Amino acid sequence: MRTIEDKGWSPYLAGALSGLVTIFSALIAGHFLGASTSFVRVAGMIEKIVDPEKVKGMQYFVKFVPQVDWQVMFIIGIFIGSLIASTTSKTFRFNGVPDMWETRFGKSAVKRGLAAFIGGIIAMFGARLADG
Amino acid sequence: MILLYGLFTGILFGFLLQKGRVIRYDKQLGALRLMDMTIVKFMLSHILVAMAGVYLLNDLGLVKLVFKPTILGGVILGGVIFGIGWGFLGYCPGTSVAALAEGRWDALWGILGMLLGGAVYAEAFPLMAETVLTWGNYGYITIPKMLGINHWLIIPVFIIGGLALFKWFEKKGL
Repeated sequence: MRTIEDKGWSPYLAGALSGLVTIFSALIAGHFLGASTSFVRVAGMIEKIVDPEKVKGMQYFVKFVPQVDWQVMFIIGIFIGSLIASTTSKTFRFNGVPDMWETRFGKSAVKRGLAAFIGGIIAMFGARLADG
Repeated sequence: MILLYGLFTGILFGFLLQKGRVIRYDKQLGALRLMDMTIVKFMLSHILVAMAGVYLLNDLGLVKLVFKPTILGGVILGGVIFGIGWGFLGYCPGTSVAALAEGRWDALWGILGMLLGGAVYAEAFPLMAETVLTWGNYGYITIPKMLGINHWLIIPVFIIGGLALFKWFEKKGL
């Protein structure tokens, strides 16, 4: 699986260091890492532009107020952190069809995009149902 | 200030996700197809370190553990639904933005889908709260509490089990 340009760190090392990130985040900010709640908050922020009255009355948006919080900033941070790592290690590549996908389903970026979009809807519904 | 902590924590975490090469579709699907355990190695290493550290800080009174109720209906059904979606998408909610940041722009469609999925769930929540989320609600339980023993008897078992699994992965070249 590993090619010459595929330089990175051991997943054990990177994983263990990210575990330290969790420990320090809990200690300093009192926050544990999570991601899926932010998709709900941002979806609510977009819906608020269209119909603020409706959003105000929705039970789930009362529970998860549609606003930028610690976790939304955490997600923005993940984008920046990954961008720093990929550009400094020259592993940044524009690619809209993953290799494994292409081998099985072909080169069509439309087909891949559609599967990713539909998969995203299903995955987020499940993630929120499991409260994860 | 708390927002800046979130941003900084995200930068560190995103950097490590990219370095660990766990944000790629091929790695995520590789794990689901039991061909490449890179993401399992990353996740489990994270969990083992964080578990020991957070419990230690909790015992010292420096952090407060945050529990979520264990609702079997939500966890099992939600887990199955998430798994189906994950198989199509090949990125997790957190890793999708990191994947986009290393040029994998198919993740963008996944991010848009997940935003829509969040909106759909918000619509479905009142129904879910009356049905699925009432099935098998065990409240705020943990393994040590259920067994009635100290958590420092459980943590080493998880660490030894995790290390044994890592050894097996390496032996099998996964």
